[in-house]
Amino acid sequence: MEYVNPLTGFRLDGRRPNEMRQIRGEIGVVAKADGSALFEMGNTKVIAAVYGPREVRNKGQQINNQALVRCEYGMANFSTGDRRRKPKGDRRSTEISLVIRQTMEACILTHLMPHSQIDIFVQVLQADGGTRSACINAATLALADAGIPMRDIVTSCSAGYLCSTPLLDLNYVEDSAGGPDVTVGILAKMDKVTLLQVLLEHTKQLECHRGA
Amino acid sequence: MVGLSTGEKHFIHGGIAQDLRSDGRKRLHFRPISVETGVIPQANGSARVRLGATDVIVSIKAELGKPNSFQPDKGKVAIFIDCSPTAAPEFEGRGGEELSSELSVALERCFLGGKTGTGAGIDLSSLIVVEGKVCWDLYIDGLVISSDGNLLDALAAAIKVALSNTGIPKVNVDLGASPDDQPEVDVSDEEFLQFDTSGVPVVVTLTKVGRHYIVDATLEEESQMSSAVSVSVNRHGHICGLTKRGGAGLDPSVILDMISVAKHVSQNLISVLDSEIAAAEANADE
Repeated sequence: MEYVNPLTGFRLDGRRPNEMRQIRGEIGVVAKADGSALFEMGNTKVIAAVYGPREVRNKGQQINNQALVRCEYGMANFSTGDRRRKPKGDRRSTEISLVIRQTMEACILTHLMPHSQIDIFVQVLQADGGTRSACINAATLALADAGIPMRDIVTSCSAGYLCSTPLLDLNYVEDSAGGPDVTVGILAKMDKVTLLQVLLEHTKQLECHRGA
Repeated sequence: MVGLSTGEKHFIHGGIAQDLRSDGRKRLHFRPISVETGVIPQANGSARVRLGATDVIVSIKAELGKPNSFQPDKGKVAIFIDCSPTAAPEFEGRGGEELSSELSVALERCFLGGKTGTGAGIDLSSLIVVEGKVCWDLYIDGLVISSDGNLLDALAAAIKVALSNTGIPKVNVDLGASPDDQPEVDVSDEEFLQFDTSGVPVVVTLTKVGRHYIVDATLEEESQMSSAVSVSVNRHGHICGLTKRGGAGLDPSVILDMISVAKHVSQNLISVLDSEIAAAEANADE
């Protein structure tokens, strides 16, 4: 299948290979939460809500010199094209919850809030590729809205390689094409990588190219 | 939820007794409702309803399936509600399961009637394609994003709006050579049939605080309630369902009074929803 048109260089949705989808963010969408944000990357729509810092619910998990960060990732039944039966608790959701938690934990100044708990809840409303990245971006905005002290803003995006072209910000069709894809999370001003996940499928050989 | 002090509790009770609630509303006033349709493009119908700070999304997906052998001339509808932990941290993991199940069952009772399919607010026979063999299965999925009380009313309103936004694709049926053959169905991508929602009810929940009832309680007011009655009423003023769960016992005359109050309030709610649906459709057409 032609993911990149050989004549024009356009992708299936009309973007150039190094072009991101349209992004949109909105803060304060859940009134009851301490901080919340809605983040859209193209058709992928994600809501993040932050509750905290607050008292630790489970005393056994309390950490004495820093805050406890917890995260849960859930996908709505209607978020994917085929209806999902189990909104959360499956392996992929558990793994993504862990990834988001570790990424955000690295940037929150947890030592300023000992004996407390910060809950980050992410809900995917529409999934069209790049949900991991959209969730991290939404979580960053929600944490900022909650006024939680952070080292830096975490931004995230995905990329892939199809038809011998590196492609930025894959949508669902490009993501399921079977090429390799990488998700990167970066501390924006400090310019440090905080998340790097590469998925290699059906590729015989991958050369390393330094992108421009 | 943050606990309420004694002073705050007195304030809520006193305000309700004097017909002036904490946000300035009268006892039988709803919060401003805002409605958006078509929020989930890949679903057959969808709606997002905001009732104050309560925010719910409902999506309806239609899939072809086989009808129940007990009711070969009716389609099937399943309602499934999920409470997202973004609404409250207690809904994390399996914490929201109890509330989700309660809401799902209450809504199924209001919209789908009894076990034999009698008294359903949704006309199930309009979902049949080939009698006894092929029918539409409607999956109604609700998601609670933000909760500030009165989830049942908000979800029921969202289901009503989503149904009005739902298009069932037209099907061309090829019956095949013998009656035992599975018919070939060709689902059209172009033509859609709009769902008939004139019989779909709304739900009005009356919360008793002290000696008075209020409509559309916020989370704080719900924490002070002694009991609640949810009444499902349709356009013609007929009662489609009634639920009273737990709480203090109510005198039967009080329940009859609550029903008549709910009927009266529901007519107003139905006309507000209808005008919001029309406005949303007009926006969508532009």
